[in-house]
Amino acid sequence: MIYLELFWEYFKVGLFTIGGGYAMLPLVTQIVSKHGWLTDRQLIEFIGVAESTPGPFAINLATFVGNTVGSTTRLGVWGGLLGALVATVAVVLPSLVIIIVVTLLFDKFRSNRYVKGALKGIRPVVVGLILCSVFTVAAKVVLPDFDFKHLSSDGASQFNWISLIIIFAFVPLSQIKIKGKKIHPICLILLSALLGVVIFGAFGVRQ
Amino acid sequence: MNKVGTQPNIIGRVSLWQLFWTFFKTGLFTFGGGYAMISILEEELVSKRKWLTSQDMLDMLVIAESTPGVIAVNTATSVGYRLRGVLGAVIATLGVVLPSFAIITALSFVINQFADNTWYKAAFTGVQACVTVLVLNAFIKMFCQLERGWFSALMVAAAFDISLFTDFNVIYIILTGGALGIVYTLIVDAVGKKKSAALLSEQLLSDSEKDDSLPKNGGDK
Repeated sequence: MIYLELFWEYFKVGLFTIGGGYAMLPLVTQIVSKHGWLTDRQLIEFIGVAESTPGPFAINLATFVGNTVGSTTRLGVWGGLLGALVATVAVVLPSLVIIIVVTLLFDKFRSNRYVKGALKGIRPVVVGLILCSVFTVAAKVVLPDFDFKHLSSDGASQFNWISLIIIFAFVPLSQIKIKGKKIHPICLILLSALLGVVIFGAFGVRQ
Repeated sequence: MNKVGTQPNIIGRVSLWQLFWTFFKTGLFTFGGGYAMISILEEELVSKRKWLTSQDMLDMLVIAESTPGVIAVNTATSVGYRLRGVLGAVIATLGVVLPSFAIITALSFVINQFADNTWYKAAFTGVQACVTVLVLNAFIKMFCQLERGWFSALMVAAAFDISLFTDFNVIYIILTGGALGIVYTLIVDAVGKKKSAALLSEQLLSDSEKDDSLPKNGGDK
């Protein structure tokens, strides 16, 4: 039963990866090739798609893998829908249970001396991870070929300075207040999409 | 209910529909990993609706980051559970997952061509720049919630360096951070106790010197 397999594999992905969607990638690659669900090429192509379509990366990927696997059954399109549902529910289920338990424990033990101490260390670590993400996301936009983990000057060839200007323009834009209110982040995203269409689309500036 | 940090009168008053809608919007406008959503959640949950404080947000991120699963989903579950219990957790998670699910399924046959479309690519290049700024803002906001001092600053810098330049698994960085936090707290407590003990004895000494006329233990006047 392919749906059961799909559920079980994705349940394990949800249960055993810490660090979010990108940390899941090695495990997903492994299960997909083990079962022959997707070709390597299909997977690599879709990773690019999952990054650029709305929604968290990992959920996009789960839905796609589930859909592709389900479509191969006799149920056709409905099979695809069912597969997508199975994979998404499976990857989310462990989170749901674990988070509820951890939140309960957290509220109970947060005044404990050791928990307090551990939190004092973990909070700045999480903030440091967010800062790391600032750099990786910025690099993806401005220097698409750059790799922080394997530093070399090769990656510096493709410098997207227009994106850099947009970034510098959006920093103050995200802070100004109109009638005491900051511009909603969703409005900023929509505005940036429009800017992208005008600059990179209509004027055909190299991306 | 001793739910921490949030005003107790708010918990339970949040409607499930509001919870769903907030996370639906968040899911729809999250691109890539889960960090861009912090800015949207800050705006929606902290600034606009005042359901949570920024400190609550940081603690939920800590939980989301140190437990298995997708960070966006973990955050949704955590917020939903805090505001409306188990049902809230399910509804918030449903909200954050639904846009992905609907878009990918609806476009499943054309999704590759769709993402390859010149205009879509152009728009997305713009969005990526904006997402960078949103993650930067999230960092600044969360950084301001940290306890001031050299220890926090050092930990931020260390975690940043290690995760950016090496392939260390996030969980090891988090575990090390937790262990160092415990050691730091124990040292600070021990030093603090010694200091206060020294201070106390000094005070007792000076007190007993001052009023020599009194019998010993003049400290407890």
